[in-house]
Amino acid sequence: MNDADIDADVTDRQLLQRMSAGDRVALEVLYRGYHGRLCRFLARLTRRPDVIEEVINDCLWIAWQKAGTFHGDSRVSTWLMGIAYRCGLKALRQHGDEPVEDDAMPEQRTPAHDLDDDRELRDWLGKGLDRLSADQRVVIELVYGVGHTLDEVAVIMQCPVGTVKARLFHARVKLRNVLPALAGDVPIHKENLP
Amino acid sequence: MTFPANSDRDCLRAWEAMPWVLQGSATPEQGSWLRAHLAQCASCRAEYAQQSRLRQAMLLPPAIPVDANVGLGRLLARLDMPEPQPEPAQLRFGGRSGPWLNRALVAVVLLQALGIGGLGMKLWSADNSPQYRTFSDAPASTAPGAIRVVPDAAMSVADWNALLHALKLKVVGGPNDVGAYTVAPAGSSSSSHALQQLRAARGIRLAEPVAVTP
Repeated sequence: MNDADIDADVTDRQLLQRMSAGDRVALEVLYRGYHGRLCRFLARLTRRPDVIEEVINDCLWIAWQKAGTFHGDSRVSTWLMGIAYRCGLKALRQHGDEPVEDDAMPEQRTPAHDLDDDRELRDWLGKGLDRLSADQRVVIELVYGVGHTLDEVAVIMQCPVGTVKARLFHARVKLRNVLPALAGDVPIHKENLP
Repeated sequence: MTFPANSDRDCLRAWEAMPWVLQGSATPEQGSWLRAHLAQCASCRAEYAQQSRLRQAMLLPPAIPVDANVGLGRLLARLDMPEPQPEPAQLRFGGRSGPWLNRALVAVVLLQALGIGGLGMKLWSADNSPQYRTFSDAPASTAPGAIRVVPDAAMSVADWNALLHALKLKVVGGPNDVGAYTVAPAGSSSSSHALQQLRAARGIRLAEPVAVTP
């Protein structure tokens, strides 16, 4: 954990403390601070914006209710992502196991402000992640996207570190074998290595 | 990904270090070692380039538009809504028929308890009177001055009746398994006199007062 992470966690803890005293401004700050990463994280589970918003609100509502009981055993971000993960799984059970493609709003998948390079990169990643299971996508997002360690991902997903390692390994192997082809390159890797 | 045989271990180490070097959580030593390895391993260099591109793609803002202001407004409105009060678990049998159904169930349980209690009391009181009697127990109540009499088997009923009439006795019990009768004075006559008369009478094999324990 670098200095920036430590500072961010101190700020988050102060926000939680204020929330436990009923300070709604603190809740707003925390909401806006985590909205982007929660949105991106949950987008790995579902593509429905209404479900994503519902899960974000469930997550922050729980954080509001439980702010006073946060013991500080982990970073606030780890705690929040764990809540979001469990709320997301609950939403998956209600809305289906796989990401829901909303064909009625195809333009939403590619924001209008996307540059050509970003759009190409986003499509490339999307096709690659489609090859992964939901748990593998979550691990990839938490490690590469959010920047959590293996131990933190284990806390978030409430599973042993070995399980996280295995999911990360298999996800990386799968991506390594499909991403070059999706980018137009010749695949150079074998399925069963390293 | 194929690794040269003499650097399998290094390539595996590089593979494991890549995500943590990319996200900045690796130690400086790990970072230096990886850079040195990449400088001499084309395969790992290609892998690292792809990992970098993967991370770059993962950091793009979400493609699905979710308005933070709208969501926050809904959350704040939700905080103002009264929280639903959960029903007490012990009364939650389900449905709208809960209250009267609960009362009926409670009444049935009480009735059962009363019935079981009454039955238990009855059984207890029945069991309280044993089927045997010891010498220390109080004797069963008998008429005052009662005499146990065993007439001879050859004695006629008429003679028996005449004897009882003459001595002003009446049968109050028997005959038992051995043919003994219990007789008692009919009026205020003396039972001791009647006892002597019975012992002296013909056809009487045994006459003993009941109240006197031998």
